[in-house]
Amino acid sequence: MIYQLLVPGPVEDVEEVRILEWHGGPGSAFAPGDLVVELETHKALIEVRAGRASTLRAILCKEGAWQRIGAPLAVFSDAADEPVPDNAAELAELAVSFEVV
Amino acid sequence: MTLPDPALLRSMMLIRAFEASLMARKDHGFQLLSSGQEAVSVGLCAALEPDDQLLCSGRSIGPALARRLDPNRVLAELLGKEAGYCSGRGGRGHMAAPARGFFGAHAVVGGNLTVAAGVALRLQGEGRSSLVACMFGDGACGSGALHETLNIAAIWRLPLLLVCDNNQYSVSTPRAAALAPARLSDLAAPFGIRGMTVDGMDVQAVRDAAQALAATVRAGGGPAFLECLSYGFTAHSTSSRESRPRDEVAAARDRCPIRGYTEVLMRSGVVDRTQVAEMTREIDIVVAAANRFADDAAFPSPADVLLNVG
Amino acid sequence: MSAEPDATTKLFFREAIVRALGEEMRRDEGLVLMGQDIGAFGGPYREFDGLHARFGSGRVRDMPVAEGAMVGVGAGYAAAGGRALVSITYMDFLMLALDPLVNYAAKLRYKTGGQLHAPLVVKTTAGAKGQGVAHSQCIEAWMMGVPGLKVVAPSTPADAYGLLKSALREDGPVLYIDHKRLFPMAGHVPVSESCVPLGVARVERAGGDVTLVGHSWMMVPVLAAADRLETEGISCEVIDLRTLAPLDTAALCASAGRTGALVTVEEGQLTCGVGAEIAFRVHEAVPGIRAARVGAAPAPVSSNPVLEAAVVPDADRIVAAVCRLLRGKP
Repeated sequence: MIYQLLVPGPVEDVEEVRILEWHGGPGSAFAPGDLVVELETHKALIEVRAGRASTLRAILCKEGAWQRIGAPLAVFSDAADEPVPDNAAELAELAVSFEVV
Repeated sequence: MTLPDPALLRSMMLIRAFEASLMARKDHGFQLLSSGQEAVSVGLCAALEPDDQLLCSGRSIGPALARRLDPNRVLAELLGKEAGYCSGRGGRGHMAAPARGFFGAHAVVGGNLTVAAGVALRLQGEGRSSLVACMFGDGACGSGALHETLNIAAIWRLPLLLVCDNNQYSVSTPRAAALAPARLSDLAAPFGIRGMTVDGMDVQAVRDAAQALAATVRAGGGPAFLECLSYGFTAHSTSSRESRPRDEVAAARDRCPIRGYTEVLMRSGVVDRTQVAEMTREIDIVVAAANRFADDAAFPSPADVLLNVG
Repeated sequence: MSAEPDATTKLFFREAIVRALGEEMRRDEGLVLMGQDIGAFGGPYREFDGLHARFGSGRVRDMPVAEGAMVGVGAGYAAAGGRALVSITYMDFLMLALDPLVNYAAKLRYKTGGQLHAPLVVKTTAGAKGQGVAHSQCIEAWMMGVPGLKVVAPSTPADAYGLLKSALREDGPVLYIDHKRLFPMAGHVPVSESCVPLGVARVERAGGDVTLVGHSWMMVPVLAAADRLETEGISCEVIDLRTLAPLDTAALCASAGRTGALVTVEEGQLTCGVGAEIAFRVHEAVPGIRAARVGAAPAPVSSNPVLEAAVVPDADRIVAAVCRLLRGKP
């Protein structure tokens, strides 16, 4: 199955974040609890961790780019070789856990 | 101990004669006088170097003259004339001549303390051995500004000499009714700041203490606090009612710092009666000249009221 | 390194401040920053992030919680030939420092006949955000009538950057006001080093029916109100004051002269407020101007969220005020 990773929320006062660092690239496999990406808010960092075993297939927002809460950041899949559709908008949301630090 | 110095006497006599001539004028306006308290300003200024800066309260005539400002321009400033140091805008409450080491007066009680710490921070950053001296009355010792200044000066080891001219009254309120500490210099102790209390009617005692404390400040030892026990010969200001007991004022006049120091100098043979008379005559000439200078000087033009506002 | 003249980069509000401070610290070695929590901690809103590491504890100085001394020491340091920026965490605490700011720094040049002046910026943060009666106030109107004191209050990261840089090049004291609710904001800031001149308002949006004037955080509800009024067929010209003292009276009169109607919006009190001053100045220059003011209810700003919202203006109240002014009914 194919998923999209969204900017998690809600985070108090935050509407928009800046992508600080991806902890992997297309093809990287994540186990539940692995750190996927760090996002920067006006005063803190959001650590986003994988909620299920999955493979990162495509990064939609590069480091330094901005994205709003709830908007897509990347595409993931269960199996590393599943075909990824062109239109990510209809995809299911990847389960994640996140922590504001 | 240093030797008796006729220059100290002359400086005190100048302040006394200058203020007497000011009070003889109908146009003297609102003033705070230093008569009776001359020894504090003069003793302190004897410990200052040209590159040091002196700040004071609104009781500025004694400090300004002791810092050797030009009496002509001091009087012009007091009377609001354009030829004054502040172009007549500051008056006695805000007299300033920073180029001559007199950063200036500020007429809010305690208001110059934190400013003085800021000036000291600037001097410290320039890496010179200069210091900042700040004079204030006992009234300022009840203000939070003193606590804040002592704290910051101590933690930053600022080159700041705090000098309390304790004339025993905050306008009408006696010191005992306004301030809890036994000695006001005790206020410095909790901050690890050296404090001394001396007889502020004894110019040599003030000078010696100020020199000793200034030496430690210049050496990088951080701030120091000098309390000088003084007494004003006139009420708080030219418009205040006299509220102090008559016998107390009379007793203070008996301890006149000028008469006392004249006797010290004569006893030790440094000056004789003729020399004191000559000094008096010379000062009268200086004071008369200051009055002529101020009389001849113009008031600012009302059209210039917005000058230097922003 | 050069950039296209109009190139911008997106920054958080706090980053625009850090950038302005860093550039001015590099440009003027006499500039010292002082205040509570601005050292290694980086400031209450991280708006001093990294400056302590770059410039050291001699130039980025943490101070005891003593606002009077912060501004007094800053004023003295500035008057003695330096330049200081003093951070007062919340504007409510500025009351503890009014003596050195108003009695000393603002008057220094005048009272010394030009011998001394105090290049001092007092930076503070205003506004309601759940922190109660003594941590929420907007008292900028108190400061607008102090001769010798300039007052600026940006509403965007670009203006925060440009106004702060201009303030740090002034000869006299400037009160620079942020707002708590602006800090989560990001916006585009020029890539090239630049200043926003003091005393110049910005026409944020052109319109023909009514002039809406605001500053600081209030620009957000003002612009939201203008959007809604547009859908009701009312075209708003929106002006961001940016500088409160000196006021850009010419820009206000020009706009109100075109639209014939003026609504001022402020988060502070209406009595002797920013809007009262603007409305009268415009009235003097544009006879017959219709004017209305929107501001705080005459009550303290509680930490209680229901009561806080009841005091502070929002887009609904702005829309209602405009409709009442133009149509005689909400």
